[in-house]
Amino acid sequence: MQFLNFAALSIALIMLPTSVNWTAPAIAAESQSAATATPETNTVEVHFTGIQLPTGTVMLALFDSEAAYSGDGAPVHTSFAPVQDGTATLTITGLASGQYAIKAFHDVDGDGKMGANPFGMPTEPFAFSNNAQGKMGPAVWADAKFDVAAGTTVQTITIQ
Amino acid sequence: MTITLSRRQILSAGTVAGAALFCPKLALADTAAADWTLGIADVEADIAPRALRRVAGRAPAGLVGTLYRNGPAKFRRNGTSSGHWFDGDGLMRAFRLNDDGSAGLTARFADTPKRRQEARLGRIAVPGFGTRSGVGVAVNGPDDTNPANTSVILSGGELLALWEAGSPLRMDPDTLETRGFKTYRPDLAQMPFLAHPRIEPDGRIWNLSLSGSTALVWRLGADGALEAVETIALPRASYMHDFTATARHLVIVLQPWIQDKFSLPFIDSLSWRPEEGTQVLVVDKDDLTKRRLFELPAFSFFHLADAWEEKDGTIRFDGCLEPTPMFAITGAPGYVRGEHIHAPAPMLNMIALHPGGQATLTATSISAEFPRNSANHAGVRRRHTVHVGLYRDDRPLAQGVGIWDWARGRDDAFDFGPRHLVEEFLFVPRAGASSEMDGWIVGNTVNIDARATELHVFDARHVSRGPVCTWRADVALPIGFHGTFVQV
Repeated sequence: MQFLNFAALSIALIMLPTSVNWTAPAIAAESQSAATATPETNTVEVHFTGIQLPTGTVMLALFDSEAAYSGDGAPVHTSFAPVQDGTATLTITGLASGQYAIKAFHDVDGDGKMGANPFGMPTEPFAFSNNAQGKMGPAVWADAKFDVAAGTTVQTITIQ
Repeated sequence: MTITLSRRQILSAGTVAGAALFCPKLALADTAAADWTLGIADVEADIAPRALRRVAGRAPAGLVGTLYRNGPAKFRRNGTSSGHWFDGDGLMRAFRLNDDGSAGLTARFADTPKRRQEARLGRIAVPGFGTRSGVGVAVNGPDDTNPANTSVILSGGELLALWEAGSPLRMDPDTLETRGFKTYRPDLAQMPFLAHPRIEPDGRIWNLSLSGSTALVWRLGADGALEAVETIALPRASYMHDFTATARHLVIVLQPWIQDKFSLPFIDSLSWRPEEGTQVLVVDKDDLTKRRLFELPAFSFFHLADAWEEKDGTIRFDGCLEPTPMFAITGAPGYVRGEHIHAPAPMLNMIALHPGGQATLTATSISAEFPRNSANHAGVRRRHTVHVGLYRDDRPLAQGVGIWDWARGRDDAFDFGPRHLVEEFLFVPRAGASSEMDGWIVGNTVNIDARATELHVFDARHVSRGPVCTWRADVALPIGFHGTFVQV
C-alpha cells in the first residue's frame, strides 16, 4: 500500500514539464517577466552540488510569487545546464528585486521531463532553493523563497 | 484489567479509526506484568557475529544453512516513539547453522534514509503506517519513510529486506551490509512492493504494488531479474498486506478495510466497512485481463498461505482471519507503549472458491498466525500448514507453534508456555524429502526468563515432542516478523 500522498508530489507540481518551454541559458533573459517598470540587472547564480549520476542536465524553474510557485502560474525563467563532475551552474540575469524560489530536477535520462513511476512518484532527483525540504510534497514557498537585490545572489543547492 | 469490546460495539463506532480513538484508554492492561515487553524492546546497535550456545538436544544432521529474519527493533529515541509496532527500524538477523553442528548469530540494522534521518534528529519523526510525522522531517518519496522491516528473500544473489509501501532494500547476504534500494528499472524506482511475494517452486516470483484501487503486478525470474510488470484495476482500495497464488492464478483478497480518505498516519485513512463483505479477485497469471470476483462475509487478515487449484477448478487457500482489524488499530500500537490491548486472536480458516462462482469459508478450532507451508508445494495441492498460535487472552503474542493437518483436522503443536514469546517458524525440507513434511521447522522464541533469543528446530513430523535442538543467544532481540531459510 502506498502510505503517503505523493500525488501532491506530482510532476506537474514540481516542474510543470508540460507547460514550461525549456530555454537555454543564453536566451533565458528573453523569458523574463515584463512586470517590472524599470529594467533591473540583478543576478542569481545557482550552483548545484552533490549530483550522483554523471549524465544529463539540471533543469531549473524560477518563480517570483507563491501562486506561481504553487502551480497557479508560470515560472519567470527556465533554463538548464549540463552536469559536469557532479555539479552544474546556472546564471540568471536581469532580474527585478524581489522574492523568488527555485524548483529543479536532475534530468538523468535527458528526456526533458521529470521521470515518474507508474504511481506518479518522482524517479529523478529534485531540489528547491534554500535546500528547502519537501514533506510528502514539494517544499513550500515559505521555505524556498529568497531575496534578490542589487548585485549577485548565490544559491547553492544540493540535488541528489 | 482488560476490557474486550464486542464486535458489535466496535462496529457501532462507525469506523474502526473512530474506535481507535477510545479503545486504548479503556483497555490498559498488564502494566505490572509487562515481562513480554522484552519482545518489543529497542536494540541500540548492530549485533556482531557471535556463537549461539546449544542448550538442549543435538544439532540435526543435514540441516545446514542460514535462517534470515527481519523485524522492527528500534522504536524509541529520546522520549519519542513509533506510533505502531509495524514502524520500527528493520533489524536483519542471520542465524547460521553450520555443518559441524555449531550455530551463530549476526544482526544488522537496515541502513535506511529513515533511520539515518531519525538518528540525526535524535527523535522518531518519519511518518509511517501508524506513526505521525514529526517537525522538521524531510520526505521526498516513499523510500524516505521505508523502514525495510517486514520480511526478507534471497533473490539474484542479494538479500532483499522487504517492506510493503516502498522498494526492497539490498543487503549483503554474508555481512548484512546495506547496499541501497533495489530498482528493477529506472521508471520503477520508489514503487511499493509487498513483503509477501509468492514464489513458485521453480523460483519465479510474483508480487504486487498497491496504490488505492490500482495494483502493479510484478513477475521476476528465478534469477531475480525483472520479467514483466503490468497494472491492473482492483474493485476497491482495500488494505492488503499479503495475497496468494495457485500455479495458474493470483488470488487477491480484498478485505473491507478500505482507504476512503487521505489522513496521516496512513492507518487513519482506512475505514472498516463490514457490510461490504470481503472480495476475492482471481486473475490468470498468463492473461491478467482474465479475472473472476468472489464474495465472502467480512473478515480482516494479514497473512495467507499458498493456494492451489483442484481438478474440478476449485481454488483453495488458508489464512489467519480476524473478525475486525482491531489488532492492527489498537493492539499493535499498544505493544510499543507496553500496553496489552486485547484483540480477538486470528483463527486458521480454509477458503474455497468454487467453479460455479460461490465462495466458502471453513474455520478450524485453532488460533494461528504466520501461516507457512512447504515452499516446494507453493501453488499445488498440499495438506499441512505451519503456524504459530496458542494465543491467550491475558498475554500478547503467540506461545506455541504447530502444524495443522487439513486431512485429519488436527494440530500437532508444542506449547512453549508463557515464559516464551514465539516468532514465525519455517518449514525446511530434508534433502531428498519423501513427503510434504519430511524435514524440520525452524524458528525463534524470546525466552523471557533467560532474557535471550533462542533458535529451535523441530522434527516437522513430531512437533508436539518438542524441539530436537535449541540454541541460545547471549542477547534478546525483539520479536521479528518474517524470514527465509537458505539451505546450503
